[in-house]
Amino acid sequence: MVPIIAWRNIWRSRTRSLVVIGSIVIGIWALIFLLGFMQGQVDNYVSGIIESETSHVQIHDPHFEDDFDVKLTIDDATKIVEDLESDPGVQAVTSRLLLNGMISSSAAANGIMVKGIDLEREDSVTRILAKIIEGAAPDTAKRNQILVSERIAEKLKVKLRSKVVLTFQNTDADITTAAFRVAGIYKTHSKLHDELYVFANKKDLVRLAGVSPASAHEIAILLREIDNVDAFTAELNEMYPWKAETYKQISPDLELFSSQIKLNLIIMTTIFMLALIFGIINTMLMAVLERVRELGMLMAVGMNRVRVFFMIVLETLYIALVGAPIGILLGFFTTKYLNRVGINLSAWSSALEEFGMKDIVRPSLEPGTILTVAIAVLITAVLASIYPAIKAIRLRPVQALRKL
Amino acid sequence: MTEEIVIKVRDVHKTYDETKVPVKALRGVSLDIKKGEFTAIVGPSGSGKTTLLNIIGGLDRPTSGSVVVNGIDISTLTDNQLIDFRKSNIGFVFQSYNLIPVLTARENVEFVMLLQKVDKTKRDARTKEMLQAVGLGDRMHNKPTELSGGQQQRVAVARALAPKPSFILADEPTANLDSSSTANLLDIMARLNREEGMTFVFSTHDQRVIDRARRVVTIEDGKVLKDEWR
Repeated sequence: MVPIIAWRNIWRSRTRSLVVIGSIVIGIWALIFLLGFMQGQVDNYVSGIIESETSHVQIHDPHFEDDFDVKLTIDDATKIVEDLESDPGVQAVTSRLLLNGMISSSAAANGIMVKGIDLEREDSVTRILAKIIEGAAPDTAKRNQILVSERIAEKLKVKLRSKVVLTFQNTDADITTAAFRVAGIYKTHSKLHDELYVFANKKDLVRLAGVSPASAHEIAILLREIDNVDAFTAELNEMYPWKAETYKQISPDLELFSSQIKLNLIIMTTIFMLALIFGIINTMLMAVLERVRELGMLMAVGMNRVRVFFMIVLETLYIALVGAPIGILLGFFTTKYLNRVGINLSAWSSALEEFGMKDIVRPSLEPGTILTVAIAVLITAVLASIYPAIKAIRLRPVQALRKL
Repeated sequence: MTEEIVIKVRDVHKTYDETKVPVKALRGVSLDIKKGEFTAIVGPSGSGKTTLLNIIGGLDRPTSGSVVVNGIDISTLTDNQLIDFRKSNIGFVFQSYNLIPVLTARENVEFVMLLQKVDKTKRDARTKEMLQAVGLGDRMHNKPTELSGGQQQRVAVARALAPKPSFILADEPTANLDSSSTANLLDIMARLNREEGMTFVFSTHDQRVIDRARRVVTIEDGKVLKDEWR
């Protein structure tokens, strides 16, 4: 009978209950959307970095990253790439030469890193071809062609087919200089990336730097399942004398970004819960104070305090149980829809480029988010019901019955 | 009428000092109520009759003195024990009906039996029996707001009687009723007193109730002034 009374009680003041339920619905909907949006930003940032820079896993000579010494190559890179290509867990793999140097034109010079790439494999890992906005990728049939970013092209005031000079150190520690012709201009969503990297055919750099054709400074691997990245990397470190690292190890800022977003989520969820708690307490307190006489009567005829307490907690839970599923469904479908169509943030694209993020954010929900929100709402409802319920059980029947 | 004493009130004093100025509501009341009585406690407003009823009903505690109901000194019980005691021993009828507004007449009557965990078949039969006894067999699915004041008070009487308590305490039960509803309610209560042997104790200053009572205890200034049997 107590659950029935509690259920009917919440509909006694229909408008008041609907206002609270409405605020729960809107609150949960907004919270889930925000959680989804922030997760989408994390995904956007992480996928941007993975796609353009780190891939899922990279292999280097253990000391290469200390000062990018040209001599510190992976000697058997070609074989490793071939082996990895036959691994069912690997989606794509490529090897690169990385040379720190300078690019100059008649107008200006700029410090850069030249990536000597195997075009076909590189494209399967970083989709470099899709980012070319003018011209084409360096032609493997021709010597010394280069792909520069729009930003570098603007800095050096060069166009397609312009000549630029690359300067870098070879394995004999001599400075090598070579003229390259601009075959294409690319643009990614990351300003930092575009200001740093130019691409040339690996075979040209092999010749100019004096390294073995079978070697590389870096092997970049894209896995089919990102969740396997830690296990796969550990396996590589056991198999080869080289140093394999996950994208999280290569780019620790990803973890920082991710943890900052998670902290924001906790703060937002807490603020939402606090607002909800006070809203519910206010409503339930009104409900209790309006029914002082009735509660006194219930205790007079023999309803014990545990049952009265339980009744008030149940009333609060019912309000949450009506509001929460509606809010959760709205939030879930909004996130799902926006994940499909994406949220266009191109108005802020220059700011996003600074962080290497794409214009389109696709909100997504991590597994367990909905469950976490649902549990949080129920806990909030129970916490919010405690004060009004205590207020109710502290009533003394004889005094409560005297109230008009 | 048997000689079994249901309620034994001995030298009960009650002083309220809520406003720092002590108010002596009861000044040494002693009273025995036997099984099957139909007793009215009467007196002017502020005489202490509602206080006495609250103390007998375990809703309030005496400042001194004892109240023994069915052999149990209820002034020694804890609050929680009192709630259980009231549930099993006392039926209440209040001045302003005090039904549970979200429940139907049937559910209201059933309510205390549910708290007592009376089995469903027995509960259903007793609910029906009591609603018919108060002439509301056809209104059992109506909510209090769909009933008149007199009908609501009859539901309250049915609710008080349904769990078969030791006695019924009715605090000014006719105060909000018109004369025909009052007559009707008193007929019902007198019949239930006669047929079920139920003990009724009223607090009232309604002459129509006083006229029907077989015993009238008059209280004034917190003391028993007269105790008349008819």
